[in-house]
Amino acid sequence: MSNSHGDTIPLHPSSQSDIDEIENLINASVQSGPATVLPARPPSPPRASIPVSPSPFIQSKIPPPPPQSASSNQKVPSVAAAPPPPPPSVGNSSSIAASGFGPAPNTLTEPVWDTVKRDLSRIVSNLKLVVFPNPYREDPGKALRDWDLWGPFFFIVFLGLTLSWSASVKKSEVFAVAFALLAAGAVILTLNVLLLGGHIIFFQSLSLLGYCLFPLDIGALICMLKDNVIVKMVVVGVTLAWSSWAAYPFMSSAVNPRRKALALYPVFLMYVSVGFLIIAIN
Amino acid sequence: MDESSSYSNLPTSHLLGSVPSVINEEQKASYSGAFFVEKSLEQQPPNNWKGVFSISSYTQYFNVDTDVVINRLISSFYPTGGDFFSKIDANPDLYGHIWITTTLVFMLSSFGNFATYLMQKHTDGTTSWSFDVGYVNVAASGIYGYAIVVPLAFYFLLQYLGSNASLVRFWCMWGYSLSIFIPTAFLLLIPVEFLRWMIILIAGTASACFVYLNLRSYIEGVNDLTIMVVAAFLLQMALAIFIKELCKMSLVRVKSLSKKSLLCVSFGIRCLASFSNIETCNRSEI
Repeated sequence: MSNSHGDTIPLHPSSQSDIDEIENLINASVQSGPATVLPARPPSPPRASIPVSPSPFIQSKIPPPPPQSASSNQKVPSVAAAPPPPPPSVGNSSSIAASGFGPAPNTLTEPVWDTVKRDLSRIVSNLKLVVFPNPYREDPGKALRDWDLWGPFFFIVFLGLTLSWSASVKKSEVFAVAFALLAAGAVILTLNVLLLGGHIIFFQSLSLLGYCLFPLDIGALICMLKDNVIVKMVVVGVTLAWSSWAAYPFMSSAVNPRRKALALYPVFLMYVSVGFLIIAIN
Repeated sequence: MDESSSYSNLPTSHLLGSVPSVINEEQKASYSGAFFVEKSLEQQPPNNWKGVFSISSYTQYFNVDTDVVINRLISSFYPTGGDFFSKIDANPDLYGHIWITTTLVFMLSSFGNFATYLMQKHTDGTTSWSFDVGYVNVAASGIYGYAIVVPLAFYFLLQYLGSNASLVRFWCMWGYSLSIFIPTAFLLLIPVEFLRWMIILIAGTASACFVYLNLRSYIEGVNDLTIMVVAAFLLQMALAIFIKELCKMSLVRVKSLSKKSLLCVSFGIRCLASFSNIETCNRSEI
């Protein structure tokens, strides 16, 4: 098939390899079939293809856009007319990202909503793994394979903001103290486990400690809305216990069992101090 | 994303965190002289700067189990007998120092607020709860500053005066000496002034005696160094009073008081240093 290109249109010599590559990609995507994700809206207008590398997105713009800027789609018209459109895809490049062929898809040119949606779904799935009961809890290596730092970042900032909103004086200082306490605390706790001779992955542990803050976030939100001391104490007590329960298996399985208490005590200390901050801020 | 997913796919038992591979570095470094051959590969002496930024050069200071830490903690409550240094000689640990000071900072900032509220309510009856987050700053700078700088100062002073000192052991000892202030912070919640003075005097004396006896047995009776040891005693008492005032006064007064006392303390140390300098000069001239 690669031989027949010379007959119809005089091609630029550099287009030949591009065309070959595009054909391979078309064939591969036909085989991969319905592994693509359907966007819920009409296809976005085709983006200008990055002239450096023949990205897979070029071939996904089917049908070729009629009044399209010719400069951006020089390579497309000669090829796109011929091949059958890849099955359910409606031409959104993010669908390629979900199908599993070739090198990692170029996520630079996908729509922002897709990136955000992907990160959000990862945060939710990590949250479900860490904070709620699930069968993988006892095995930390399995439980958070796909760690990320967005979730912990959101939770820490949200907690700082909630505490800052609840405070009546020195709001910025409260936010600074809360943020510094949590961020530095997570790093120090991880270093503590490593220094005690434990085995954890640094960023995975940071991620876990951040996700375990989620119950305290909920507690802080409730305490901000409801200003009664008794209610605050009960809510903070419950969420503190929940956070500690969530963090326990990961920390305790990382160290030698004779040093378990040494590794767990600082975690407890940090959560208690945050809990106290939540109760005490008025 | 790829490297992160491959990272977490490795079995966790083979990883020592994302710190750059220290084991290989030290295996390479073990060629440098027979001096290092005897030591185990994970306990590289901090003679070269490569060791400063890798975690495994500090794991030797955290090589303790739970029961060892609890044992040392309990022995620090009883100031009698200056045998703490012999207890920690083989295995000084910085775990106690770091986490006792951190616990103390948290206790002071939280109970300081609470105790201030109780004191004001006791005298006034109408004040409402207000949380001053500046307590965290003052408590943290006070306690961390004391626990880091004072052993450092004594280490340098003792090195200068010729006797042998080990910084890690000093940090360890001073860290454990602060452990008695943790239950004291609970007791300082009582709003009665006389009781508070009694409590802090007892706790301060116990802690200061601990420091004094241990330091004296470590230095082993060179006469002019007694002054040094007495100075340690007084510094610990000063810290005790700082803790008490933190739980009572308003923050502004604590800050101004602590600035004044810092000036006094530095002046006192300068006097002491010059005094013992004179003594050593006199002694050597004879």
